[in-house]
Amino acid sequence: MDSAANDVVTLVDPAHPPSRKAPLVWAIGAAIPWLGLAVAQVVWVAIEERLSPASGWYPQWLHVTAAVVTVLGALVFVAVVPLWRYRVHRWDLRPKAVYTRSGWLVQERRIAPISRVQTVDIYRGPLDRLFGLANVTVTTASSAGAVRIVALDSDVADRIAAQLTDIAAIGSEDAT
Amino acid sequence: MTVVASENWQRLSPRMLLVHPVHEVLRQLPLLIGSVVLGSATGNPMWTLVALALTVGFGLARWFTTTYRIEPDEVALRAGVLQRKVLSVPRNRIRSVETDARLLHRLLGLTVLRVSTGKETRRSAEFELDAVQADQVPRLRAILLADSLAPPDGTGAQAAPPGEVLARWDPSWLRYSPLSFTGLAMMLAAVGVAYQAGVGVALQKSHAAQSGLDAAQHFGIAASVAVVAVVVLIASVVLSVLRSLVTYGNLVLRRDADLLHLEHGLLRVREHTFDVRRLRGGTLRAPLLVRLFGGARLDAVMTGVDGSGEASLLLPPCPTRTAEAVLTELIGRPDMVTGPVRAHGPVATRRRWTRALALPCVIGVALLVVALNVVVPAWVWPVWAVLTVCCGLLGADRARSLGHRVDERWLVARAGSLERRRDCIAAAGIIGWTVRQTLLQRRAGVATLIAATAAGVKRYQVIDVPAELAWSIAATASPWVADNDWAAKH
Repeated sequence: MDSAANDVVTLVDPAHPPSRKAPLVWAIGAAIPWLGLAVAQVVWVAIEERLSPASGWYPQWLHVTAAVVTVLGALVFVAVVPLWRYRVHRWDLRPKAVYTRSGWLVQERRIAPISRVQTVDIYRGPLDRLFGLANVTVTTASSAGAVRIVALDSDVADRIAAQLTDIAAIGSEDAT
Repeated sequence: MTVVASENWQRLSPRMLLVHPVHEVLRQLPLLIGSVVLGSATGNPMWTLVALALTVGFGLARWFTTTYRIEPDEVALRAGVLQRKVLSVPRNRIRSVETDARLLHRLLGLTVLRVSTGKETRRSAEFELDAVQADQVPRLRAILLADSLAPPDGTGAQAAPPGEVLARWDPSWLRYSPLSFTGLAMMLAAVGVAYQAGVGVALQKSHAAQSGLDAAQHFGIAASVAVVAVVVLIASVVLSVLRSLVTYGNLVLRRDADLLHLEHGLLRVREHTFDVRRLRGGTLRAPLLVRLFGGARLDAVMTGVDGSGEASLLLPPCPTRTAEAVLTELIGRPDMVTGPVRAHGPVATRRRWTRALALPCVIGVALLVVALNVVVPAWVWPVWAVLTVCCGLLGADRARSLGHRVDERWLVARAGSLERRRDCIAAAGIIGWTVRQTLLQRRAGVATLIAATAAGVKRYQVIDVPAELAWSIAATASPWVADNDWAAKH
């Protein structure tokens, strides 16, 4: 029926990891909202004590649950997830295709042909700029086909973008 | 507005001077009702008259402020009474032309002409000529599509397009429409609007509601509920059939060389012209209730045409054989349209079963826990049993329908039970591949393969293929995947 039956193709994972600073930046990025949540809880406790010092039974376990959830969530997203993502994230670029692996719980490997590349964007958020990182987004004509290479060292990102615009004959064909 | 010297700017049909005020009045109905209330409350009918005059004047102004221009390289539209906008579309970007004639338009011999490009546009940014005279439409369509299509041979061909008829509506197609939820949805919408308008409160106090409640008590709750259910069911069926008849009556799907013409509607006639060279495949969709009666609907997978809504519809629910024949005619590959698909193996089947039965199992355990502590009414258990059986059947059907078929030219993915779909995608249109694995998929050794295209819904999934096969499928359809150092052939 099809040639796939007798010709199994596998892809080895892409070679290059993101910047070594990536886990740190991801951890800081995740820590900010969790820290906000923790501060909000402290404020909540303080206000409650001021307003009604000995009111009933419910706040005790409510506060404890909220605190436990916050600590656990912060631990997972600040300590575990960045390291996990760093182990998963890989990228590679060759004359014919760009290939990435990303995610942590849900992992994706995505490949797009250079000949169909439409735009190459470099994005630097505030944290990225602080640590000298950059994210490269390679878009094709499909909204489901954009390839994102995140948390690269700035010079690597610039090199990738230059290389991509060099090999990709952007604008030469319709690319749909 | 000052008239621009260039005579290239054309106005829409002057008959719109009759249509615009009516539409404007309908659109501003709440405002007008408010003005009537205000007028009668203050005893001064001037309020009502002024509001009406303003509305009509605004409608008239729409015609005077709207002009369009067809240039060699682009078409442009200027519109807006208070907020001016100029919209220009490069002519080689025009992907399809759609016409739409509502009842009032038809009575006056007018047609709305809509141009669609590859970009997804918001409603306000659409290039829409509302409206031109119906007899100008073939000429305009030929002009608009001339740049992106092969020019029609001679001028005579435009007047009477011959072409091959692919499908023609048949009254027997109506048998699939009672089985949809459109009727129910329409009734719910009507009830919602009525309640918003305060009918519900009035009803509660009224005499009729009281006597209805009395009657319900007299006949017993069960009987009354049954009667209401039957009435709702009948009304829903009637509404669904009527809507289907009015919307899809007289449907004709015609192909002239590189153009695909779709025309349908009894009262409101809609016509859609597609560029066949932008066709990247088709999707056969069969909701469970339609499938039981051997029906299916057909959607085009086309660049520049939104894949999920009505825009991509080629055939409404019709006999499966008709839909398959039309798709075969369009893509020229009978084996891809009707041929068997390759199943995804025991792991995928097991995952369909666990997903289908997870909910009944959780409910069952919860019921048991509750039953051990308090008395549960006896009818709960048969209901739970029926739910479990239904979920089991659903899982079995989902497992059975899952499959794919691939060669160098086409990718076919079939999945689903409540709505089974068979996506046939041209390999040439696939511009990226994603292999996606959740934690559970990684443990089970399967993966979801996603083909990215610029056409239709943009992403087409092959669910739960064995992980080692995922890249083989991609490489079969797109040789460039295997043409890299990462790829290893075994």
